[in-house]
Amino acid sequence: MASLELKKIIKDFGETRVIHGVDLQVDDGEFVVFVGPSGCGKSTLLRLICGLEHASSGDIFLEGERVNDVRAADRGLAMVFQSYALYPHMTVYQNMAFGLENMGLPKAAIKAKVGEAAKLLRLDTLLERKPTQLSGGQRQRVAIGRAIVREPKIFLFDEPLSNLDAELRVSMRSEITGLHRRLGSTMIYVTHDQVEAMTMADKIVVLRQGRIEQVGSPLELYNRPANRFVAGFIGSPQMNFLPVRSEAGSRLATTFGTAFSLDIESGLAEGKTYMLGVRPEHLSLEESPGALSLALKVVEVEQLGGHCLIYGMLPDGNTRITLHCEGQQSTQIGDAVVVYAPPANCHLFEKDGEERTIR
Amino acid sequence: MKLVSYLTATRGRSRLHWTDWLTYAYLCVGLFLMFGPVLWLVASSFKTEAALSEFPPTLLPYGQKSVMVPGEEKPKPVFRVKLPDGTMKELPEIRRIGLMATYVDPAKPEEPIRVNIKDRQPVREFRLATENYSDLMRKLDFGKYLWNSVFITIVATVITLLFNSMAAFALSKYQFRGRSGVFLFIIATLMVPPAIVLVPNFLVVTELGLLNSLWAVIWPAVATPTGVFMLRQYMLTIPDELLEAARMDHASEWQIYWRIMLPLSAPALAVLAIFSIMWRWNDFLWPLIVLSKAEKFTLQLALNAFQGDLITQWNYLLAMTVITLLPVTVVFAFLQKHITQGIASAGVK
Repeated sequence: MASLELKKIIKDFGETRVIHGVDLQVDDGEFVVFVGPSGCGKSTLLRLICGLEHASSGDIFLEGERVNDVRAADRGLAMVFQSYALYPHMTVYQNMAFGLENMGLPKAAIKAKVGEAAKLLRLDTLLERKPTQLSGGQRQRVAIGRAIVREPKIFLFDEPLSNLDAELRVSMRSEITGLHRRLGSTMIYVTHDQVEAMTMADKIVVLRQGRIEQVGSPLELYNRPANRFVAGFIGSPQMNFLPVRSEAGSRLATTFGTAFSLDIESGLAEGKTYMLGVRPEHLSLEESPGALSLALKVVEVEQLGGHCLIYGMLPDGNTRITLHCEGQQSTQIGDAVVVYAPPANCHLFEKDGEERTIR
Repeated sequence: MKLVSYLTATRGRSRLHWTDWLTYAYLCVGLFLMFGPVLWLVASSFKTEAALSEFPPTLLPYGQKSVMVPGEEKPKPVFRVKLPDGTMKELPEIRRIGLMATYVDPAKPEEPIRVNIKDRQPVREFRLATENYSDLMRKLDFGKYLWNSVFITIVATVITLLFNSMAAFALSKYQFRGRSGVFLFIIATLMVPPAIVLVPNFLVVTELGLLNSLWAVIWPAVATPTGVFMLRQYMLTIPDELLEAARMDHASEWQIYWRIMLPLSAPALAVLAIFSIMWRWNDFLWPLIVLSKAEKFTLQLALNAFQGDLITQWNYLLAMTVITLLPVTVVFAFLQKHITQGIASAGVK
């Protein structure tokens, strides 16, 4: 168990800069998820933390101590790799014991520790098997077991569930969070899947192109995204965006003629274009007072039983809007529907630069 | 049963398709071409010296029948003799003086029969001249040569595997300046014909004082570009994550090499081991140059020494050739699956 602090971390691969000055504080016992699209530098950041890569500049502090020049093995962290990286020629037991053997622990102690971890992960009957004789989920658990036996200060997970099928992914997800509750260790988890991030994290770190876009709890990110990127990345289906123009009296008008007023503390400059964001689940087929009405031509309907997703095109002809409705709807492709966006649930973003959130 | 159905598989269901005829003809010719000489060699190695120089030659080893005669120390050759009374009888020959030979009938040993040698034919029977082999063991310092060959083969193979895998590990898994340069340099040595480096190698070995030592054969042979290349290509397919996981697991670089890389490269190592065994065992030219003392000869050199300027004892030469062939044949027969597998994986991937 330990805290971690990154200060102005920069990483260059040759000429390309992949991490642009990251500052981050991870507290003791936290479950932190790094999330972002592929190539955003989240795995690189994890490898910098564990010591498999060296930072070009900046400092890494572990429990308050600078560890930039400490070897990966001596940092006391454990990593679960995306491909599990189990040694294929060793049995499950040998895989889990390898690290302890290298540390020179006595045989009896190794046996006890491995046995304990195996019991925790329900691997005790599989100890003599080779990794190739295991299913995906079992391999995953062995990889986690290999990390547990070393009693690391921080667990690092690099997209550990991406090789599993959807069903197994859900159950492994809760298994990992359960483990976190039981062990109480600090864990850092990398994923590109925002659902994993939302469901598992105490704290989510959203990354894009080597920069931190926002750090916060899942609901903070959902309710108050810092910019349009975070707003679009967090939440599924994705938030709807449509361009609006500010008019006199804090009114906002769409490009196709409807308008509504949005309460903004700082006020808006008149005649400027903004991006209006509203989540599919906040759109409604029923009119509410002051809501923005959007006339849609339905292009696709997905019936999921418990709820349905309706995709429609705005009159401007190139903005697609997704609507999440509870229950089952009789809407057909080609129908014209009007949906309403209540102002309380609307977000407004700058149209240029960092597309920061105004509301 | 499986083998039978495999060997008798045909394309035609009931009758033989014409491609079947073609296939079998091709396979038979191939079998004859490949195995004919080997079988001829093995059969001939069991012939006596006399039988070898016979014309027309026989395929199978025949020898003259001989029996023990009471009162004589050595077995006597048996001849089919035309007796003076005109009957034919198989009798052992006691002695022969000029054109007359003396025979004795074991039933009536007190009556020797003298017959002109025109009237007798040697009786021949199928007989393996195993003395070719047993004499070889006794007369020659065969054990010494065998030991030299085995020592060179095993030691050189072990060192080859060790050195080449270490080089391949560094070249496949470490990033360092000039890595591809070093690798290209190693590969480039493949283009240098061995004959060209013969003299420089000899000079080096002489300067090191290794002449007439088995190590003179071992050391120049252990660093093979083929081996480094093959192992490197294989090791490239081992994921880096395994090494990183091991590094996180407190493994030293040596432990990563010894406990992760080596076991995982086993298929490629097996191929290289087989190649190395065949190369070292069959090596002739280099040992011939650096080993001039008879007690340091390898089997191949001893074999060569049999071929004198004036006389060649063909029966011994052939027997020894068979013995020399055996180990490689056995190695190949048992490991040929690994060979094809390894070549495929090292080459294609």
